[in-house]
Amino acid sequence: MLKLILSRLALAVPQLLLLSFFVFLLTYMVPGSPAAAVLGEAATPESIARVETQLGLDRPFFERLTEWYVGAFQGDFGNSYVSSRPVSELFLERLPATISLMLGGIIVAVLLGMALGLIGGTKAGSVRDRIATAISSFSMSVPEFWVGIVLVLMFAVQLRLFPVVSYVPFDVDPFGWVRGLVLPSIALGIGGAALIARQTRTAMAETMSARYIDSLTAAGVSRNKLIFGYGLKNAMVPVLSATGITISIMLGASFAIEKVFAFPGIGSLMLRSVTGKDFAVVQGGVLLIAVMIIAVNLILDVSYGLINPRSRPQ
Amino acid sequence: MSDTYTSNFQAIRAEKPKRNSNLGRILSRVRRQPATLVAFAFIVLLAVIALTAQWIAPYDPTASNFDNVLQPPSGEFLLGTDNLGRDQLSRLLFGVRIVLLVALGAVLVAMAIGVPLGLLFGFHGGWWDRIGMRFVDMAQALPGLLIGLTVITIFGRNMIILMIAIGLIFASAFARMTRATVLGERGKLYVEAAAVAGLRKSQIIFTQVLPNLLGAIITQAAVFIGSAIMIESAMSFLGIGLDSDIPTWGAMLSLAVENQSVAPYLSWPPGIAIVLTVLAFNVFGDGLNDAFTGERRRPVKRVRPAAASKPRPATTAAARPSPVAAAASAVAPVLEARDVTVALSRPAGNRVDLVSAVSIDVRKGEIVGLLGESGSGKSTFARAVLGMLPAGTWLADGTINLAGKEISRRSAKELRSIRGDRLGAVFQDPMSALSPVHTVGNQLIEPLRIHKGMSKKAARARAIELLARVGVKDPAGRLDHYPHQFSGGMAQRVAIAMALAADPELLIADEATSALDVTTQSQVLDLIMDLRDEYGMGVLMITHSLGVVAETCDRVAVMYRGRVVEDAEVGALFDRPQHQYTRALLAANPANSAGLDRLPTIDRELRAVIDAEQDAEARKEALR
Repeated sequence: MLKLILSRLALAVPQLLLLSFFVFLLTYMVPGSPAAAVLGEAATPESIARVETQLGLDRPFFERLTEWYVGAFQGDFGNSYVSSRPVSELFLERLPATISLMLGGIIVAVLLGMALGLIGGTKAGSVRDRIATAISSFSMSVPEFWVGIVLVLMFAVQLRLFPVVSYVPFDVDPFGWVRGLVLPSIALGIGGAALIARQTRTAMAETMSARYIDSLTAAGVSRNKLIFGYGLKNAMVPVLSATGITISIMLGASFAIEKVFAFPGIGSLMLRSVTGKDFAVVQGGVLLIAVMIIAVNLILDVSYGLINPRSRPQ
Repeated sequence: MSDTYTSNFQAIRAEKPKRNSNLGRILSRVRRQPATLVAFAFIVLLAVIALTAQWIAPYDPTASNFDNVLQPPSGEFLLGTDNLGRDQLSRLLFGVRIVLLVALGAVLVAMAIGVPLGLLFGFHGGWWDRIGMRFVDMAQALPGLLIGLTVITIFGRNMIILMIAIGLIFASAFARMTRATVLGERGKLYVEAAAVAGLRKSQIIFTQVLPNLLGAIITQAAVFIGSAIMIESAMSFLGIGLDSDIPTWGAMLSLAVENQSVAPYLSWPPGIAIVLTVLAFNVFGDGLNDAFTGERRRPVKRVRPAAASKPRPATTAAARPSPVAAAASAVAPVLEARDVTVALSRPAGNRVDLVSAVSIDVRKGEIVGLLGESGSGKSTFARAVLGMLPAGTWLADGTINLAGKEISRRSAKELRSIRGDRLGAVFQDPMSALSPVHTVGNQLIEPLRIHKGMSKKAARARAIELLARVGVKDPAGRLDHYPHQFSGGMAQRVAIAMALAADPELLIADEATSALDVTTQSQVLDLIMDLRDEYGMGVLMITHSLGVVAETCDRVAVMYRGRVVEDAEVGALFDRPQHQYTRALLAANPANSAGLDRLPTIDRELRAVIDAEQDAEARKEALR
């Protein structure tokens, strides 16, 4: 197991180096100076030049790149062009909100998706399978942020059951934290649920027609035990290997959910930095998101190894 | 040699016009899918709206009207107005144009980048493929929105850049799919034939592989247009799509959020428009996929026709005891199957009998063979005994007694307590007969805990004994191993141990040794015979092998087309076969045909004769 983790980590390093190089290269190619964007309307050629020197934008490309790499290894991603605060600090501030939202979304997606997939997959071809498939196909066509808008309209604006602006830090008010997460998590989770439902259905339908299910049936194992004890664990093998992409898609969708619920997560920070040409923050953000995705995939790989004995080193 | 290939190649060429009829077939399949047709009609409607927006929209979508700010829907403004007084209906209609244009452009960009890359990776292989696919993996692991966002940051906001930004997200998926298709097609005979015929690789790509790719690409494109619309809407909603003046559905929803408390009506139309449009493209794409691959998602009919006859009362069975049973001891046979008939309902509604009026007895300590070719109904009969008939089939007639007690038509719960306890089964292909993600011990302990009520510890000790009994070395250590760590023969021994866990009275071995090599096969057969002697159980040995029958069975029933044509002692059957099918079957035994030019078979004419005779008998029986 340790070998697996180490080999994945070894693979992640060049990936991250390459990715940040690309982002750096692209920001270098951008027409128009970020300094101009920082100064806004009042910019003069002189003031732009002065700010560029301040931010180090006038130095050669490779000097800046190596400096950035050296800093990044020590956890220093430079300072924001706009607020001058350290990029790492800006993201650390916003990480709890994003992680809360993602956790909530994943819980909803997994519960709803697995339930829907099991309803269909355990009786493939039946009427209830077709209904479950239709529901997941429909959910796939609904933008998450619109689900959020509708939920806010119904439960926050009309019924006033939930707050419209919803994020409360956990350490401030744990109950408020949960209450604020309900609607955004449902909105975010529905899209992921559709993907998980499709994968679970296919995997489960295949598993339940496998020969070992026959052997176990012939040994007198009850249907519930067949489904939840044997079928599900087998079906999880293909489902887990597709979950990495599902979570990555949900992370993208969380940006739009943040806007609907005025969530102070990394999505809104990224958007603000993109429109404000605050490239120091964009670079740090892309790298941070890549690290998060690699971490998620690592966790998934490890749990994949726990479930599937054949992938374990002997 | 070269002649063969050339003619082969010409044959392939000659087949080419078939593609036109292929197209016809695909179209006719699409025509039979109502949902696909509705989706297509909706897409056509959207295209018409996009083309005619300037004439059908009641107002200028970008003109502010400060006299009519945030008007709820009314006769004048059918869907109301936004905070700048712009008519929502007009913005919605013009939005169709932007949405379709951006999505179509994005998918074309994705194709233009992804398809050539996929072709390159697929055809070149080697390092190109390995490094290229690493990049594709990396790109696919990132959230699509992040890629779009980065491109927009760098190049700014206009329609072409938006198309490229969204197109890049799907390019990797196109590359992956194209590569997979090329790799699939590459191994096929016609590409090799074309290469041998002297065509250059690039020529092969374009003349041979590309047409085959078309179906996959078109299907993918339809689905990606749906996804591209979702991403475009999300980006416009976040303010990183097109300029907010330009009417897009995402930007409309962005305004809706800002004015949510005062103008809730703004939230509905753009959202519904997105859902319907994406749904239309998804359904259309799925339908095309089904049409191209020829699949139809038809539910299995599980309805049992009401006309299914009632089980014959047991007295009927008793009134017609088989001659052998009458001569035997007064002890009831372990298995006593009478007139077992299994029916299948076809999608068209008619009924076919897979097994017709089969009667078989198995006594304590007896091994009875059930011999027949594939499709003769022998496995279906076994499943009927186990109460495990597949969906769409049912026990239409007959009784099945296990040690004198009727077991057919019991509830699922009652069946469960019989299966694995008094009735054990071993199936073909041991490697797939055990769950790959559970330890062997786990699966072996299961029946012991269920039927014997053993504690975990006791069940484990018994499982070790069982493994040792079936000849697995180091049973205590092997208990915690997974099936893939066993050889086929050893895995089948484990499966037998599992079937024997609770000392069944009857063991059904359904082609239990067919997947094993000859040496392992005879070891496993020996084991079954030893266990029979030890436990005194009856065995129903289902097989297509005359060798297995000769080696192990006391008696044998020969099945053909769902009926037992002959039931005799093994020696009598081999020496004096009564039915002409049995005679033909014995004559076709390859072991007897050494020195012959051709292996004897049961030819078509003989089958026709036997079939006609059987049908005549069935009719006579029906009249009786």
